[in-house]
Amino acid sequence: MGSTELILCAVTVAALDICALVLLICAYTDKSANKKYWRHFTGDMELAEQGRAYPLGCDEVIIGRHASADIRIPDLSVSRYHALMTINGGAWTITDIGSKSGVYINGNLVKEAILRENDVINIGSHRMVFRKRRDKKNV
Amino acid sequence: MYNPLSYVSSCLFVLIAHAAMLANVFINGNYNSIADPAIIAGAVLLLDVAYFTALLFFKQTSYTIDFLLVLVLNMSVIFQSCFGQVKFDSDAIKHYITAVTALIACRVGFIACRNYKSLQNKRKFIYIAIGICIVLILTLTGSRSMWIQLGPISLQPSEFIKPLFILACATSVAEQQKKHKLLLFNVVYENIALFGLMAVICLLQWWCADLGSLPTFMAIYIAGFLLRICYPKAKLSKKTYISAAAALLVIAVIAFKFAPAYVQERLHADIWSDTNGSGYQQSQALIAIADGGWTGKGPGNGFLCNVAAHENDIVFATVCEEWGLLYALMMIFVILIMLAVPLINPPRSYYHATMSAGVCAAFTVQMALNIFGSCNMIPFTGVTIPFISAGGSSMMVSGFMIGMLAAAQSPVLDNTGGQPAAAPKPPANRPNKRPVRRKAV
Amino acid sequence: MKSIRRCQHIMSLFLVLFIAGMVTLVVKIQRESAFYMMNSDKHVLGMVYDRNGDVLFDGSLKEGDTSKYEDNYFIDVGNLIGDDKGQMTNTLVAKNIEKLNNYSFSEGVVNEGGKAAIYTTLDHKANRTVYNAFAGNDGCAVAYNYKTGEILVCTSLPSLDVTKGYSELKSFREGTLMSKNMSGTVPGSTQKVSTVISALEIMGPERLLSKTFSCSGKYTNKSGKVIDCHELYGHGDLTLQQAVEKSCNPYFAQLVEDPDLDFEELKKMYTKLGYSVNGAEPEYIDIDGIECQKASTNLTDPYDFQTQWGCMGQGDTLVSPIQLMMWQSAVANGTGKMTMPHLIKEVTNVKGKITETASTSYSNALFSEKTADSMKQILLTNGANNYTYLIRNHTVGVKSGTAQVQNGQKENSLLVGFVTDPELPVAFCVVVEDRNNTYLTAEYITQVMLDALTPQAN
Repeated sequence: MGSTELILCAVTVAALDICALVLLICAYTDKSANKKYWRHFTGDMELAEQGRAYPLGCDEVIIGRHASADIRIPDLSVSRYHALMTINGGAWTITDIGSKSGVYINGNLVKEAILRENDVINIGSHRMVFRKRRDKKNV
Repeated sequence: MYNPLSYVSSCLFVLIAHAAMLANVFINGNYNSIADPAIIAGAVLLLDVAYFTALLFFKQTSYTIDFLLVLVLNMSVIFQSCFGQVKFDSDAIKHYITAVTALIACRVGFIACRNYKSLQNKRKFIYIAIGICIVLILTLTGSRSMWIQLGPISLQPSEFIKPLFILACATSVAEQQKKHKLLLFNVVYENIALFGLMAVICLLQWWCADLGSLPTFMAIYIAGFLLRICYPKAKLSKKTYISAAAALLVIAVIAFKFAPAYVQERLHADIWSDTNGSGYQQSQALIAIADGGWTGKGPGNGFLCNVAAHENDIVFATVCEEWGLLYALMMIFVILIMLAVPLINPPRSYYHATMSAGVCAAFTVQMALNIFGSCNMIPFTGVTIPFISAGGSSMMVSGFMIGMLAAAQSPVLDNTGGQPAAAPKPPANRPNKRPVRRKAV
Repeated sequence: MKSIRRCQHIMSLFLVLFIAGMVTLVVKIQRESAFYMMNSDKHVLGMVYDRNGDVLFDGSLKEGDTSKYEDNYFIDVGNLIGDDKGQMTNTLVAKNIEKLNNYSFSEGVVNEGGKAAIYTTLDHKANRTVYNAFAGNDGCAVAYNYKTGEILVCTSLPSLDVTKGYSELKSFREGTLMSKNMSGTVPGSTQKVSTVISALEIMGPERLLSKTFSCSGKYTNKSGKVIDCHELYGHGDLTLQQAVEKSCNPYFAQLVEDPDLDFEELKKMYTKLGYSVNGAEPEYIDIDGIECQKASTNLTDPYDFQTQWGCMGQGDTLVSPIQLMMWQSAVANGTGKMTMPHLIKEVTNVKGKITETASTSYSNALFSEKTADSMKQILLTNGANNYTYLIRNHTVGVKSGTAQVQNGQKENSLLVGFVTDPELPVAFCVVVEDRNNTYLTAEYITQVMLDALTPQAN
C-alpha cells in the first residue's frame, strides 16, 4: 500500500464522514423547522394547571394516572387512562377513554368534545386550562 | 419553508463524498481504459443532480433522509461497478437501474405514507394486499420457492410483504384504546388479527423452505408488539414482559429443535472444516476481509468477485476487500444514521413513530443477518443488505421503506384542509354537549 | 411525548444491538484475521527458535532446499515442532500456525522481513545430544524444569527431517510422525510411583511405612492367580522402601489386596492423578495446543489379577511419558501440585512485538505435601542406594521400570525421576524401547541428558 493510496483512502473516508456530519447537522436544524411547523399547525396550545403547563407535542396525548400516560396526573381521582387528546384538521379534540370520573369541559360532562381556547377541563379533582402556550418569561 | 442553506450544503457534501470515491476509483482502481471510470462518474453525478432537482418538487420539512438515501445508493452503484474490475458493464447497469427504481420507490412510499390518518383508515386494504402477495407466492412461484419469473425479471413477492407488514404493525394510541372484552381479557381485535397474520407469514416461509427473511418479519412484529402492549387497560407489570420474553425464547428453542434439516445444517456448520464445500462462501469472505485490511486493496482489485453471490449475500466482505474495513463500516454507519434520523427529529404521531420503528427493526435485522452471517457469527442466510446488495425487489422495497421514514419526517398534518387551530373565542354554550352519564367522584 | 419516546427507545434498542454486534465483529476480525489468512494460499510463515535463538523451524524455507541448514539439522525435533505441510497435525507448528503468520490486519501479508516467530523453551543443543545418544535405537526422552514448566528436552525416535519432504513417507517406520512423549505407553514399574502415592495418601505414611509384606518369589493372590517376582528366590520380608527399590511385584499385589487400602479410595485417587479409570472419557494435557494423552487403566476388583497387574504398570495400563514426568514434578516440588509443562516461551508478531509470554501454572493439588515428602524421600533413597554409579554427579530421585509390550515379545526400559539440584530443577522421563536388543540403557540416556542440561555444560 503506497502512501498516495493511503492518503486517498483517508480522504475518501473523511469526505464521507464530513458528509454524514453535515447531514446530521441538517437533521438537527430540521428539528426546529419541524417544531415550528407543528406549532403553527396545532395553534401552539398547552394544558395549564396551577403551577405547571403540559405541552402538546404529538397528535395523540393521553391524560391519566398510569406511568405511560403522556400527561401523568398522579392522583387517585384520575383513572389510569382517563382522556385522550387528538388533533384533527388543526383542532384539538378531547375524548373520554373509559374514565371512572368522567371529563368535564367548562363544567359539562362530555364524552368527546372539540376544545377551544381557554376551555376549562376538569379531570378528577384537577382543573386545567386549554390555552396558548406561554413562554416561561410570561408566566 | 426549507432552509436553502442546508439544502445547498447537503447537495454539495453529498457530491463531494461521491467525488472523493470516484477519485479513489480513478487513482487506485483497476481499469483498462479511462472511459470506464468516466462513465461511472458521469452516471453517478447525473443521478445525484437529477435527484436533487426532483427533490425541489416535493414540499418537505426535512430532506435529510433523502440526501442520505442518494448518498448510500450512489455509493452502492460505485461499489457494484467496481467489483472485479472497474467497468460499467451489464451488471452495473442493472444495479444502476434498480438504484433509480429505489429512488422512485422512495418517492412513492413518501407520498403514500405521508398522510397517516388516511393510511390508518386503509388498514383493511393493507391486509388485502398482503393476502394477495401470499396468494401470488402460493400460486405463481415455482415449486415452493420465493421467486416469480416474469420474462427477464425475477421478483420476490415476499420482499413486498415487508413494507406492508410494517404498515399493518403500525398503530395509533386511539386504536389501542378500542378494547373489547373477550373471555376474561380486554383485547384489541386488530392485535389478534396481526398475530394471525404473523402466524400465516411464518407458515408461508416454512412452506417455501426459505427461513432467511423470517427473522426480519419477527423483528418487525416484535417492535410492533412491544409498541402495542404499552397501553393496557390494567397495570402492566414487569412480570408480563418477562413471561412474554420467556415464551418467545421457548418458541425459538422449539423452532430450532424442529427446524428442517437444511436449517439444522446451517446452524451447526463449521466453515473451516469444509472450506471447499458448504463453508466456501463464508471462508472466502473472511479471508477477503482479512486480506483487505483497514484500507482495502483498491477498487477492482479484489478476488472475491469470483465467488458466487459476491454482489449480494457476501457483499459486505466484497466491499471490505476492495475499499477496506474502515470504509465498509462507514457505509454501514451511513445507513444507521438514516435509521437514526427519527431519533433526532421525532415523528409527531404515534402511527408514524411505530412505522419508523418497524422500518428500523427490519433494516437492522436484515443488515445483521447478512453481515454477521457472512462473517460466520450467526448462521448464513441469503438475505440482502438494504441498498448495498444487488437485487431488484430488495432495492425497491428498501427504497419504499426509506420513503416511509421520510414521510414520518414530513407528515401531512393538515389532512382535512382545515385552518390552524382554534381561534380564541370566549367559552360559549357548547353545541356538542353530551348528557351527564355519571356523577363525578 | 412519552408514546413517541417509547418508539424511539425501541428503535435505539435495535440500533444499539446492531452496533454492539458490529463492534464484536470488528474485534473478532482483528483477532482472527491471521487465522483466516492461514486458510488462504497467501501466507508467509516465520521462524521457530529454541531458548538460545537456534532455529527449529524455518517458514521461509522452500521445499527441498537443503543448502541453508546442515543435513538432519531439525531431525531431533522433527515430530515435535513439525511443519505446515499437514502430514503431522499434533505438532507445535500445526497447532500454532496462525502465530507464525507474517501478517497483521493493518499491514497485510509481509513477504520480506516479517518478524513473526515462536520462541520455544527447548534447548536444541541438549536435545540433539540426547537424540544422538539414542544412536538409532527407538525411544523417547523428555525433561522439563519443574519450577517453571519449561520443556527443555523432548525428543522421540524414530524421527524425520522435515526439510526433506514426505516423498519417502511409505518407508517411514511406525511412530515416526508422532512424538512418543505425547502418547500412552506401558509404564512398567514406574507405575508403582502412582500406586505408592495413592497408598500414602489413603493410609498415611506412618501406617504404610510400618507395614511389611513377604515375598517368596511367587505369590498366589486371593483369586488364585500367581504373580511372579523377577527375583526367583524372593526378597523375604520387605518394607515399602525396599519394595520400591527392588520393584517387588508380590509386595504390591499384597498391598493392593490389603484391606487398609480402600479400593474405592484407590480408584478415586487414580482418577485424581489423571487416569481414565475403567474406560472413562480420556482427558488430554494441552501443551500450547498440542494434545498430550494422560493415562488410563482398568481397576475392577482388588483381588483381580489384571487389577493388581495394572497397579504394577502392566496389563491395560497406559501412561504418556510426559504425564509420568509431571507426577515427578508434583513430588519434586513437595506440594503435590504438578507444574504444567509448556513449550512456547514467547510469541512475536510481524513487527517483532511480543504478543504472548508464557507463565508458570500449576495443576490442582493431587496429593498432600506430606505424601509428596514421603514419596520424595523414597525416590531419593532409591537414587542414592542404587543409582550413584549409574547417574554420576547428580542427586536424583528415580524409579525405573520395565514394560512388556507386544504380548511380552519386547521389553521397554523406562526411567522417571527428578534432580534436586536447585541449579538444575529438572524432572524427566526416558524410554528406551526393546532393551534386550541393545546395550543402551535408560540410565545412560538420563546421564547424557542431565549432563547436557547442566548449566556449566552449556
